[in-house]
Amino acid sequence: MKAILHIIEYDFRNFFRYRWFVIGLIAMNLADLFISAVVFTQMASTSIVVNYFRFFAPGLAVVGLFASAFMIGREINMEVRREIHHYLLSLPMTRTELAIGRVLAGGLRGMLYMTPLLITNFLVLHFPTLPQLLLILLTLLLLAIGISGVSISIAVSTTSFEKFVTARGVVYYMLFFCSSVFYPLSVIQVLSAKGLAPLVAFAQVNPLTNGSDLIRSFLLNSPEYVFSPLMLLNVAVFSVIFAFLATFAYSKILLRH
Amino acid sequence: MGAALGFRKLWLVVERDLRMFIQYKFLLILRGIWFVAQVTLFGLIVNKMVQEAAAEVSINYFQYYVAGVTIITLYSTAMFIGYDIFEEAEHGVFEYLLTLPVSRRELVMGRSIGGGLRSFIYVGPLLLVVLFILGVSNPIYLLVAFASLFLFAFGVSGMSITIAVAMKSGDKYDILIGVLDALIVRLSTTMYPTFYMQRAMPAYASIANFNPLTFASDLFRWGTGVEGALQFSPLLAILGLFIFFFAFTFVGVVFYERRLEGGGWQ
Repeated sequence: MKAILHIIEYDFRNFFRYRWFVIGLIAMNLADLFISAVVFTQMASTSIVVNYFRFFAPGLAVVGLFASAFMIGREINMEVRREIHHYLLSLPMTRTELAIGRVLAGGLRGMLYMTPLLITNFLVLHFPTLPQLLLILLTLLLLAIGISGVSISIAVSTTSFEKFVTARGVVYYMLFFCSSVFYPLSVIQVLSAKGLAPLVAFAQVNPLTNGSDLIRSFLLNSPEYVFSPLMLLNVAVFSVIFAFLATFAYSKILLRH
Repeated sequence: MGAALGFRKLWLVVERDLRMFIQYKFLLILRGIWFVAQVTLFGLIVNKMVQEAAAEVSINYFQYYVAGVTIITLYSTAMFIGYDIFEEAEHGVFEYLLTLPVSRRELVMGRSIGGGLRSFIYVGPLLLVVLFILGVSNPIYLLVAFASLFLFAFGVSGMSITIAVAMKSGDKYDILIGVLDALIVRLSTTMYPTFYMQRAMPAYASIANFNPLTFASDLFRWGTGVEGALQFSPLLAILGLFIFFFAFTFVGVVFYERRLEGGGWQ
């Protein structure tokens, strides 16, 4: 346990070292909310989304969580390329402890970064009750750990920075476009008519859909968004699968480099 | 004789960048998936969400967005030359390039042209699909639009090299490009018409009026006939792109010629 805490501390120190990267991420998130969402509020049909800005705000917390939890993969990819991982592998801890520490650190850093965005949501939309707040935080933590797992799995499987950046982009667009982060699930049904029904099914089970809709169910006070324990279960399953996959990939694949 | 030799050296640099680009098969396939995801997912779904608003300004939003995302793809692939430079710096290839019997100016110009040309070659097949979706109403207009997009691609490539050489740090470059992407794409007419930007926040529309992505996407829509929301005279947009191209391909050369030497890459 102590070894895992050391790794988490190491990654948090690195996180603050990349403060400019974090500032860059914040700028991108704010541009999404205060430029794109503001313009789309003028364009979106009110029969589909009453107020797009309010609809998108919870999605923004998930976008921020995703981007910052994904940062751990960027660092691990850099460590592999610069062979810093040899030093990490020489530390007096098991490969599994090292891998678990990295996955957890990625998730916790995502939570830290996302907190101001979540507070913005509370200010703009509505303050949740204490049980609701705890549920939101638990769901987002599980989501962040899962995303960190995805990121680490990609990082150790790609040999160059370009491949990592491109894979990150593709994962980002597939997960986000097929989710209710940017638009309601009801609108995504349009893909069924275009012969893309499997993507609609994917959007329904997408953990980002469940994560953002769970926040909406507590903050929007709208009958369209009602909390269901299945939302939490969905995110938990995603988190467990990718945390295990990343732990396995990190501890095994790194030894091959 | 001297001019011919200079041109030959320039072409060698361009050819090298083109050959390097073809090596990135994995990357090119992934970029293609990214484009398809943009069009078939985001484009189709948002089209449904904004249909009424699009009708208000007489556009088909799906077509409008497809044209816009083509320009975003051209922009992002032209920007990729910066990542190449960092990869070369990391592996010590950059110093090798500086030892070649090619002047700094030829090297930088060749890379700028190579970066723009390869992005255009990459976007070529996608453009065919896009033209199939959008149709062509006037071939002359389309040729003018394509010529302008060449200027745009070379300008973006030059901008990417300028930023990369100014930063000399892969991390800082990645961050700055991320922020620049976020602002330059969102504050342009690639995703939404100026009419709605003006309605949402007049300042956004004012900034978009000076954005090279606005010029490029509006010209492309004009060339293909998706022109319901065209804000500029095409001549003004071409002039805007020419200034952008000139600034980063020629004036920029003077700046990065001075920064090339001395190492300091991170």
